[in-house]
Amino acid sequence: MTLFFRKSIIAATGLFLCIFLIVHLSANCILLLPEDMARGMYNSYSTLLRESPLIKIVAYLLYLSIILHVVYALIVTIKNKRAKPVGYKVSNTKENSSWASQNMGLLGVFILIFIVVHLANFWARIKLGLGEEVGTDSVGNKDVYEVTSHLFHNIYYVLFYSLLMFPLGFHLYHGLKSAVKSLGFYHRKSLLIISKVSLIYAVIVSAMFGIIPFIVYFK
Amino acid sequence: MKITFKIWRQEGPNDKGGFQSYEVNDLTEDMSFLEALDHLNEILVLKNKKVVAFEYDCREGICGQCGVFINGRAHGPHDNMTTCQLHMRSFEDGATITVEPWRARSFPIIKDLIVNRSAFDRIIENGAFISAKTGTAPEANAILISKTVSDRAMDAAACIGCGACVATCKNSSAALFTSAKINHLNGLPQGAPEAHQRVLDMTAQMEKEGFGHCSFTGACEVECPEGISIVNIAEMNARFIKAKIFG
Ligand code: FES
Repeated sequence: MTLFFRKSIIAATGLFLCIFLIVHLSANCILLLPEDMARGMYNSYSTLLRESPLIKIVAYLLYLSIILHVVYALIVTIKNKRAKPVGYKVSNTKENSSWASQNMGLLGVFILIFIVVHLANFWARIKLGLGEEVGTDSVGNKDVYEVTSHLFHNIYYVLFYSLLMFPLGFHLYHGLKSAVKSLGFYHRKSLLIISKVSLIYAVIVSAMFGIIPFIVYFK
Repeated sequence: MKITFKIWRQEGPNDKGGFQSYEVNDLTEDMSFLEALDHLNEILVLKNKKVVAFEYDCREGICGQCGVFINGRAHGPHDNMTTCQLHMRSFEDGATITVEPWRARSFPIIKDLIVNRSAFDRIIENGAFISAKTGTAPEANAILISKTVSDRAMDAAACIGCGACVATCKNSSAALFTSAKINHLNGLPQGAPEAHQRVLDMTAQMEKEGFGHCSFTGACEVECPEGISIVNIAEMNARFIKAKIFG
């Protein structure tokens, strides 16, 4: 059943990305520390990540996951559209399902736009060396802190980074609890717990990601 | 009460179709929705016009024939209910009610509000049966089944194949229907001999019929007249993995 196969790919890569977000967020939390402490820690942490061979493998897994997640989501969306070529004149979906669940594709597009801009802001400059060169801090690490702090002193970027955490939150809420079901987990009581965990996870992750740029802005 | 019906009219499978409005003035709140449509048809007959084609059989919520989309929801405004169980008191006097046929590529429209749901029959044919001994009826207590297992199987077996799950699903997925049929049999010892093959065959047929992917919006379990839980779909996925490995 390729229906199942396609959805499992989306679910499995999605779950992997959920775990990644926790790791990513923990690094962002360094930005909450006082500036002199944060700069050193943030830069050495990012150097550690860039140079560890294990992280290199994880990074490739990450790229692969994002690409597979997007490609399969696209295929599934096209096929689903084909399965319902004519819609209803009147449709009252809000009475039987959550808005997020009905709009995962749209939410995903927002997140993809975010990822592209985010990668251009950081990944392209720091890893690929494109654009303005990144300086070094007092111990010789690439001064990624400076890049971040500079970016988050621009209110437009702060707003962009924060506002796009709303679609992320909704996407995570529906995605996390559905992924486990797509992968065949069907213990009823645990599913109720997972549904609550998804909500808590989505709120914490998106709120934290969204608030940190503001904190940096006002620091 | 006075109701304006806005109904999808389509002569045949290849006709373009469109909405038509009908005002009916002498309905009562106690009429069932189908009786209201009957009444509209009587009026149309007297006016020498073509009646609205819609499907029904039992009119007591057990056959699953009466599926139509009413005001943006499968079987109308209530959760877990068939159209025949819906009454006019659920609508306000003077309201306009939009009535549409099930929409899905795999359920082609035959006429007006009637769709062809034989895709479901073909999924059933591909595995929703068991091997049984012929001859005299076996002793009823020969196979012991625990209450939990039998309850689970009964809950899944309650599916009446009305198609509301497909109709309401934005992806026209038949996962709730297929999973109910699979879990009903695979959960019981009687279904064990063909367990793995059943999952593989029925899901393959579901896909062949052109139904979409399940994305767990949960709309199906709300519109299902029998309240079949979407956890059944997760269970079907688990059975599918098991069948792939051990089947
Ligand atoms: S007519 Fe049988 S379920 Fe409605």
